[in-house]
Amino acid sequence: VRDEEAIRARKHPLAVLGVWAWETGLASVGAWPAASLVRAVYGNDPRGDGPLWTPGAHALLDLLWRDAHGVSEAARALALALAIGAVAGLLPMTAMMVAMAHGDPARRRFAVNVSGALDVLPAMAALLILMTAAEALAVGAGVFLGTLAESLAHVGLGEARAQQLATAIVVPFLVFAGVMGVTHDLARAAVVRRRAGPVGALVAGAAAFRADPLSLAWSWAWRAIAAVVPVFAVGMVAERLGGRGVLALAILAILHQGVVLGRVALRASWLATGLRRLAPFHHLDASAR
Amino acid sequence: MIPRVRPHTLALAAALALSPADTRPQRSGGVPEPSADDAELRAHAIDVVDYTLRAVLDPVLHTVHGEGRISWRNTSTATVRELWLHLYLNAFKNERSAFLRERVGGRGSEQPEDWGWIDLRALALHDPDGTTSDLLRAIDLRRPGDDDETDARVPLPRSIKPGETAVIDVVFDDKLPAIVERTGYRGTFHMIGQWFPKIARLEPDGTWAHFPFHHLAEFYADFGTYDVTLDVPAAYTLGATGPVVDTRIERGRRVERHVQSDVHDFAWTAWDQWRSIHERIDGIDVTVLFPPAFEDMAARDLAAVRFALPYESGRYGRYPYPVLTVVHPQQDAAEAGGMEYPTIITSAGAWPTPSGVRLPEIVTVHELGHQWFYGLVATNETLWPMLDEGVNEFAEIDAMAKWRGDGSAADLVGLRVSDAAIQAIVGNMAVQDEPVAQAANAFSSGANYGKLVYARTAAVLETMARVYGDEAVGRALGSYTRRFRFEHPGPDQLVGAFADVLGDRIASTLRAALFDKGWVDYVVEGVSSRRSTAAAGVFDANGARVTIPRGDEAGWEGSALVVRRGSLAFPVDIELVLADGSTRRERWDAENSWKRIAWHGPVALRGAVVDPDDRVTIDANLENNHGSAEGGGAGAPRSLERATYWTQLALQAIAP
Repeated sequence: VRDEEAIRARKHPLAVLGVWAWETGLASVGAWPAASLVRAVYGNDPRGDGPLWTPGAHALLDLLWRDAHGVSEAARALALALAIGAVAGLLPMTAMMVAMAHGDPARRRFAVNVSGALDVLPAMAALLILMTAAEALAVGAGVFLGTLAESLAHVGLGEARAQQLATAIVVPFLVFAGVMGVTHDLARAAVVRRRAGPVGALVAGAAAFRADPLSLAWSWAWRAIAAVVPVFAVGMVAERLGGRGVLALAILAILHQGVVLGRVALRASWLATGLRRLAPFHHLDASAR
Repeated sequence: MIPRVRPHTLALAAALALSPADTRPQRSGGVPEPSADDAELRAHAIDVVDYTLRAVLDPVLHTVHGEGRISWRNTSTATVRELWLHLYLNAFKNERSAFLRERVGGRGSEQPEDWGWIDLRALALHDPDGTTSDLLRAIDLRRPGDDDETDARVPLPRSIKPGETAVIDVVFDDKLPAIVERTGYRGTFHMIGQWFPKIARLEPDGTWAHFPFHHLAEFYADFGTYDVTLDVPAAYTLGATGPVVDTRIERGRRVERHVQSDVHDFAWTAWDQWRSIHERIDGIDVTVLFPPAFEDMAARDLAAVRFALPYESGRYGRYPYPVLTVVHPQQDAAEAGGMEYPTIITSAGAWPTPSGVRLPEIVTVHELGHQWFYGLVATNETLWPMLDEGVNEFAEIDAMAKWRGDGSAADLVGLRVSDAAIQAIVGNMAVQDEPVAQAANAFSSGANYGKLVYARTAAVLETMARVYGDEAVGRALGSYTRRFRFEHPGPDQLVGAFADVLGDRIASTLRAALFDKGWVDYVVEGVSSRRSTAAAGVFDANGARVTIPRGDEAGWEGSALVVRRGSLAFPVDIELVLADGSTRRERWDAENSWKRIAWHGPVALRGAVVDPDDRVTIDANLENNHGSAEGGGAGAPRSLERATYWTQLALQAIAP
């Protein structure tokens, strides 16, 4: 029987680092055209690209206008990288889940984890398509009803109140979509741990959520909040730090990558929670005995 | 008036990221002390035309019935045998009006959802014998081959001599259009401008400055007293030009009388949903009218007035009226937003506008600035739109910078975009196309009108403020607004004020920038750096003989070549950046078209930067303001780092 306590993100740092490396590599590729554009324009400036980041943004606006063609090319490359990440990111995430669920922390086996991820990838992909469509449907329905309510209430309530009413109508749908997202992650855990198919995994994920909704919702929510806070905190630090000079730039880069890595770790921590909740049935039987 | 979409603001905002502490020159903030000249400010305008009107609103049919009396005095040197009457509500009567024919793009270009017009029912001139002469029979609404009905010629049965006053009784009916650009209705909301028959301005030489209602310009009139009684359903709240001198409820109707002297227009609003807040600011009773649940927007409008009213009063001469009303329309009536009328202005912004997006503040400050640049200094908007919209755009970016610093247009999580930077970029987009100083309807497009009249004028004045001093430019503009308060100056008077304060050379630069498509581009054309070697040989110096061998190294030498392109010249700094990170600065008057700066020293010259403090905001190309010796560039590591980080965050946001 697998030690459930071993299914924790902190016990699988290499798996977490692997996802971070994937995101960093892809992001670097996606951001490269934009950085190249800046380097072509400001690479010859003895101050570097510092003027671009001067408050007031005059030089930045000048570049965006003057090099509009290059900017749109860079934006296309970025969009492509994001599109690849949205789909292909399933593999590293699944590999991380496999590593946490089945890997022995004492033995780091990259190939085994990736192989395990490939085994369950079809089910994971089917889940992704199914749940993305369902979440989009939920949000779309909320937006439709909210817009309808706004148009009906516009004259009677006034513009602002009508829009607030629309927002109030949309919010429950967003919460519902969030619940679907949590269920989606639990279903993924079922795929990884129980080798369930997409439908069976969804049933298992929904059952797990129904069994303990508040605890699971909170477990997801606090990590989601914790993932946002450092982005703003480091943003404020970066504003004070500036980033001119090698030392400031190095500190900024370390802080930024710390934020990214921390967010990956929080995601891993939540997925580990799901993996523990979706233990294989024989584990549950063993626990009962 | 303010263009509805401020070019590029939103698109650019998305691309911006964290910004470090400012290194650009800062102008001192705070409110200027009232000028000593204010004690001698003219208290009143020359009263040329008085309107005593009563207006009855039917908010269901969206009509206004008006009647009253116009007293017009011939202040010219010529005898007058005709009047010109502006019937500007006819701009929305049909698609043959000048306004709707001139669909130049942008705001107000859509056909109104419901037409609007003004019908004159009576127009009678009082004769000296106590009788009246009907003027309506001979009125000439259209010109041959032109169906526009906004500029009517009224032949007079008798001449009006210089100094003589014509008293005319008038009755008219307005049908308001669905809200278009400035006037009309949306449901029970009514914003009512250009609604009464208005006598065109007679120039001192006896020529009439009369125009059809053009798409891009509408204001030019004589000063006078407006005594207007408004009659609306009792449930409606009113806002209008001038203070309320009498208010009562009669038979279910609210009757409110507004009287204001020394103005040249009258506008009003009526809505059964208006909420209001009031505050006394700098001795002025300020009211903000806002829709339900727009409290936050109203507070932001009021905060803008709280800063800008005393600031502009100190800079351009005391605001002379007892009241100011700010009207904040809903987004479904956004066409009513961003307009100026005497003592009543309209702001803009949806109720959830983020606090870091300064749209309501910018619009409020802009329209408030019009109280000087259009209101008190009543220039001809049709002939010289830059004198009100352009100079006022500078007043806007100046006030916003003093109030909000570098984030005067947007300040979002470290992203700080200044209003001045936006105007500088937008102004550069069309500078080669056509001059700034031309009539409104002479512009090739509404877009170029916006880029040149608003942005380019503002950027030119901002450049002058940064190069020659904010205080000096403020003094020049303040001198202009004080000297021509309650008058109708032209561009010569504006340029003349700059000549008086800053000298003829700078005034000619201003003229060239406005009239002659003047432009400038500073370029670091080349930078070189090499090991210097001392001249070899035998030298006698100070009674001693010294032999210097070939190849003896004696430090570094190099040079930077800086070029000025274009027809304008502003003095600039040139910064030499050395290999050890230190810098040296040299001032260049830029009178010649190029300058070479030599460098000899113990460290290598890495590169050079022209105008390192970004004073010449109209510089046509900022990307050539730097140059490096071979290997002297610093690359763009910061941009790569930031771009990667933000892409990582975006990836995480959409990751499966």
